[in-house]
Amino acid sequence: MTQLDHGKFTRMTTTFHTLLALDVFVLFFSGYSMMFNDELWWLVGLMGGATGVVAVHRVAGAGLLVLVLFWMLMMVTTDTGRGNFREILPGRADVDAMVQDVKFLLGRAEERHPNARQFAGGTADDIPLLTYIGKGVVFIFAIELALLSISGVLIWSKSGIIELMATRTAAMAFVTFHGLLGVIMLMGVMFHIFEHGFHPAFYPVEVKAFIPRSMIPEYHADGGEEGERAEEARTGIERLELSPSWNAASTIVGALTVIGIVSVLLGSVFDEGYPVPREIVIGGGPTNLLLTVGINAGIFVLFLGLILQMYGNLLRVRWERQLESEERPPAATDGGELRE
Amino acid sequence: MSYREHLPETRGYGGTAIAVNALIAVVATLAILWWASGFGPFYEELFRIDPTFTGANAGVGADWAEGNQIVWLDFAIAITHAADVIMGVFILFMVFLHWGAFRRLAARMRAPGESPETDETVAADGGRAADAAGGQTDGAADDATGEAADDAARSDGGDGP
Repeated sequence: MTQLDHGKFTRMTTTFHTLLALDVFVLFFSGYSMMFNDELWWLVGLMGGATGVVAVHRVAGAGLLVLVLFWMLMMVTTDTGRGNFREILPGRADVDAMVQDVKFLLGRAEERHPNARQFAGGTADDIPLLTYIGKGVVFIFAIELALLSISGVLIWSKSGIIELMATRTAAMAFVTFHGLLGVIMLMGVMFHIFEHGFHPAFYPVEVKAFIPRSMIPEYHADGGEEGERAEEARTGIERLELSPSWNAASTIVGALTVIGIVSVLLGSVFDEGYPVPREIVIGGGPTNLLLTVGINAGIFVLFLGLILQMYGNLLRVRWERQLESEERPPAATDGGELRE
Repeated sequence: MSYREHLPETRGYGGTAIAVNALIAVVATLAILWWASGFGPFYEELFRIDPTFTGANAGVGADWAEGNQIVWLDFAIAITHAADVIMGVFILFMVFLHWGAFRRLAARMRAPGESPETDETVAADGGRAADAAGGQTDGAADDATGEAADDAARSDGGDGP
């Protein structure tokens, strides 16, 4: 078992991660079907047309505001939140980790830097709370979500934004600005899905963000608490069996991730969403088959992420059941603490 | 008595803090949205006939023709475009970096169907399975059996896609 790598996040954090993921997926699906409406016409239709998709986006936006405010409060008002702050600050080791990752890729390093490791094979203490990528994700998403929330609230009322912006075109340009802001996060989430779904040791999903640390035993069942037995209990990656489907799956999804990222990047450059384009384009945008296919590939990767995070939660439920059945305590169906 | 006895004592977030902060977040969100919707009447005003411009371009729809003339907004859009491209290229680099690293790691793992007991099983690429003892880390290639040469050969990426 490789689960010892994962005693990292609290139950609150894992639950929050799931809620945030679901909310952001809905925001992506609704928001980018508006911005890339000529490539994702079917998604607009799926969400109830031009009116419905805006309503879905507003509801999910309200959800995001709640989540962001809640998280900020938790980080500031609780000891646990304040205590974790130095854990997420990037440092010299994170730069080293990125450089060593490049060397590892080129075959010039034998292993990945501790700050890059998703799979440690030992105890949870062997790897930091967040890899260098994890820290980047925290910072980029925090900045993105703050800017998107603020600009989103300003757009909340169309007539309000028009009054703020002096002209209607400017108001629409501000909406465009909001959409362009989210593109970094859109690309980042695609990478995030690939990174945590297709590590060969964890394929199809890394459970770090789904199984809280309070449910992870501190030692392997077959290992002692310290010394030689604990050393034996460590799991080298050589002992793990590669899933038969990993090779094909990682290649296909890796390719789709690259296609998706490139396409939404190109789409954001060409498809600004201005109601009046800077240059007259007949048809309202690049009616480009390749771009249409590519942006849809990106949406598929996001959809896959939605499925994988559901699967992560399913694994948590199974893990909980397994723990309970091993010990056979009186059942607590709500997962609460049992009284003695 | 519960299975939790065998689990570590972890100090998470207190239930009170979660409840209070969640409540504050909901109330603050409602207040913000109430404030945001108070800018103007909540209905689509986009297509009203409202000639707002004077001068040579005056008339219905003239505000579209006037375009976005807010300098800071134009600048913000240009900056965001640039940030999208720079970050996009960086994220693509990260995708390829991890894709490659994952392939290298996968090459070290036991091939599908290979049993852990038989160390002499021939791996699909002609190498031999690594010894199970003393595995260390994500990417620690050498093991205690002196098969480092084999391992090094295998760790360079396995078979092609």
